[in-house]
Amino acid sequence: MKTQVKISNKAIFMFFMLIGLVGFTPLQAQNDNSSAEATQGKTIKGIVTDGTNPLQDVNVTLKGFKVGTVTNEKGEFTFPRPLRVGEVLQFSYLGFATKEAKIKADTNFIRMEMSEEVIEVMGSLNTNKRYKSKKRKQ
Amino acid sequence: MLFCVWQVHAQVSDFKKIKFDKADRIAAEHKHEKLNNLPVLVYTLTNELDTDVEKFRAIFTWVCSNISNDYQLYAKNMRKRRKLINDSIALKAWNEKFKKIVFKKLRKRKKTLCTGYAYLIKKMANLAEIECEIVHGFAKTSTIDPEKLTIPNHSWNAVKLNGKWYLCDPTWASGIPNPESYQFQFHYNEGFFLADPQIFAINHFPLKEKWFLLTNNTSQSFQSFIEAPILYNDAYRYFSSHSKPAKMYQSVQQNDSLTLAFDTYVSFQKKDVHFIIENSFTSKRRMPSFISLENQKLCVAYKFTTSGYYDVHLYVKDDLISTYTVEVKKD
Repeated sequence: MKTQVKISNKAIFMFFMLIGLVGFTPLQAQNDNSSAEATQGKTIKGIVTDGTNPLQDVNVTLKGFKVGTVTNEKGEFTFPRPLRVGEVLQFSYLGFATKEAKIKADTNFIRMEMSEEVIEVMGSLNTNKRYKSKKRKQ
Repeated sequence: MLFCVWQVHAQVSDFKKIKFDKADRIAAEHKHEKLNNLPVLVYTLTNELDTDVEKFRAIFTWVCSNISNDYQLYAKNMRKRRKLINDSIALKAWNEKFKKIVFKKLRKRKKTLCTGYAYLIKKMANLAEIECEIVHGFAKTSTIDPEKLTIPNHSWNAVKLNGKWYLCDPTWASGIPNPESYQFQFHYNEGFFLADPQIFAINHFPLKEKWFLLTNNTSQSFQSFIEAPILYNDAYRYFSSHSKPAKMYQSVQQNDSLTLAFDTYVSFQKKDVHFIIENSFTSKRRMPSFISLENQKLCVAYKFTTSGYYDVHLYVKDDLISTYTVEVKKD
């Protein structure tokens, strides 16, 4: 009886192995192309301009994390760690509208155009000086 | 008979269960950080904090403790804006040129003027995924001649926390320039953090009416803003509203009283409240002729026994709160 049980367990195991091979091999094959990038990520380079000229010192940061870099005098950057599909790079520079770029399967190089903020600058003087009436008719 | 009317619109008290000590401590620990990596600065200031209001507080405190108000920038801009008030094309060209100067100075030297403060707050809040807007409009201080208040002169912020909009003024929260040297002196005033719209409307008039954020749906006129009493920065440390009187200029009969009403949100004592009564010849410290301070409502009055013209200044401790000009007519 014991032998019979062992055999049937083995058969069940073999059956599932077979199913596994037949059932999951095609899916595995599909993922093979991007699996290395998906798990380890890829190096992303890029250039940031204001439409015509390169922008230096733009912060290029992985959204939600502390990791990032800044653009050089040519507006170029190489992100310091490999990036995975779906991760988001944030481009930030004071005086320009913040932009984002999502890493896609075919993203290797990002051309980011940033535009200046549309803002009217104004300012008033803050003071704690006590008011004094100009004219007193007393 | 003294009659005081109050409304309660406390704002920062919406978050009274939240202590801002941790947010303020984080902001203090990162004092002197530069603005050359804003996303990392925002991450550093906010990632240990759980709620949006704490994150926004850390940003607000950091900006107000690290960015100085540049008098030269202010003076340069106001001169130019006054000159070009009737030339919209030249004004636009000036603004394009000037904003480059402003942002460069902010990036390199951490100096700016009102719009720069409001812009930086918005930018940093947005990086922390907090909705925040710049509000442009008119602001009134003791040195501004209301008759010359013809062009917008100030910018501040509205921030959305837990689905509700709040007001704050980072420029005025940061400090004041020395009246003689114009050197900026940091003096953080947390009263401008999520200030009550009632007190805010006394010396802030937004270009877009929606940014009054008042709940009573009464339309605010520019004339009533111009005529309102002068309110000083320290008023925001104590009060959430100043309901009476609505006008700075007051006329009373001899032996009648000027009565003031405020909502308070911090504790102080009746003996802390006093007036300075000034005329052309004298400036005298006087205690109120009537005072009531209960249930966070202050009602205070001063009785005039001599006719004449007076500047009446209200103080709590040594802090200047508000000013009224009073004409006392003979019986």
